[in-house]
Amino acid sequence: MAGIGGRDIGILAAAALLACWLGGCATTPTPEMRAANDPFEPTNRETLKLNGKIDKYFVIPTVGAYFFIVPDGGRRAIHNFLQNVSLPTVFVNDVLQGETKRAGQTFARFTINTTLGLGGFFDPATKKFHVPAHGEDFGQTLAVWGVGEGPYLILPVIGPQPPRDAFGQVVDVFLDPTTHIHFKQHLWWDVGRYYFTLLDLRGQTYSTVQGIQRSSVDYYASLRSLYRQMRNNEISNGKPETENLPEF
Amino acid sequence: MSATDLTPGILPLARRAILAFALAAASLAVATTSATASAPAEAYVQNNVQTGLSILNNRSASTDQKREQFEHFILGLTDMKRIANFTLGQYKRTASPQEQEAFAQAFQSYAIAVYQSYFSKYSGQTLKVTGSQQRAPGDTIVQTVMIDPNDKSGQPPLEVDFRVLGEGGKFVVIDFSVSGIWLALEERDQFSSFLGQNNGSIALLISHLKELARNYKAEH
Repeated sequence: MAGIGGRDIGILAAAALLACWLGGCATTPTPEMRAANDPFEPTNRETLKLNGKIDKYFVIPTVGAYFFIVPDGGRRAIHNFLQNVSLPTVFVNDVLQGETKRAGQTFARFTINTTLGLGGFFDPATKKFHVPAHGEDFGQTLAVWGVGEGPYLILPVIGPQPPRDAFGQVVDVFLDPTTHIHFKQHLWWDVGRYYFTLLDLRGQTYSTVQGIQRSSVDYYASLRSLYRQMRNNEISNGKPETENLPEF
Repeated sequence: MSATDLTPGILPLARRAILAFALAAASLAVATTSATASAPAEAYVQNNVQTGLSILNNRSASTDQKREQFEHFILGLTDMKRIANFTLGQYKRTASPQEQEAFAQAFQSYAIAVYQSYFSKYSGQTLKVTGSQQRAPGDTIVQTVMIDPNDKSGQPPLEVDFRVLGEGGKFVVIDFSVSGIWLALEERDQFSSFLGQNNGSIALLISHLKELARNYKAEH
């Protein structure tokens, strides 16, 4: 979803992708790996373990501190702000996908929340004007244009990012107007934005992730399936694609 | 795993999704219904939502009684063996009838233990049928939305779809999805991967499922 992006995430994604392709991902795929479109599965599994450690020893403790220090209302305001600041990118992707109605909604949300919502910290667009929120990103735009996701990839820190979506994240950084506004503390803005997005997201998904981990026979494969299904649902903007369902 | 392992896109699943899974599970309901409505599959789902909710909302029943009623409720309806076989994917072909039977049993205990673990999360949500789509004769997707009286976010409600097989008066629910994510599909992907990693050993998968079910039962 746009808004996760920032200059740092783009650089990280590109670097990790390069490193992976040039080196560590060189394994001989088994027929199962090919069938799952996951030729780098052994490397991906190792990266997932690494990400699990980062999550356990760094992310979760700081999420705990975030919840302890910042009250519910403050966290909601931060969430609203992060969502709002990503809307220009969402808007461009709406337009690139030819989704005029959704582009209009995004434009309206940004205008309302930036003004009446005091810089985006409040969300009158949803509550008073009933304009629903949605996410878009360049990975989805590419998918709408017919680009396949490519082999499954998990990147360090970032998580599941098949090439199409990783490339999309990089493009989103360039589509984001804040990238092109020059000010002294730009690095801190990028780092802070990414970090608070991480806290916001992880805080919201904590119990869901725990539930998935507890019920999984193979957490890696579960995550892969969930990621792909979620992405397909996002790409179709929630319209059910029932023709692709398997026979029972 | 990192927080971003679930980006972009876990947000629609956050918080409410667990409840929706619980609710959807609770709505996989009893026996056959001779629906006379113009869209029998829709009526079937709506009726069973009511039956499921009546179990969850029954204040006079103890938690243990609810669990028992719920188990009966699910088994009376779903073709667990068919779902279990589906989740074996390509490994079904090589599994012996005995292995398939043992796996179906283990899968059933596991699925019910997972659903029951969501009971405590329920807080008044309901599902409303919004329409249906026929994939093929006797294969219908019934669409519902989750109405959450506690949700003040103003966001559109979560979408929960049911895949219903059958025609006329006899139906069976074989899968459900939350925000476009189908559960049996996800289970098939998981189990196939597990079996691929473990020389196709269905016995090992069975023991793993049994262990997970035991863990769930011990915690609740």
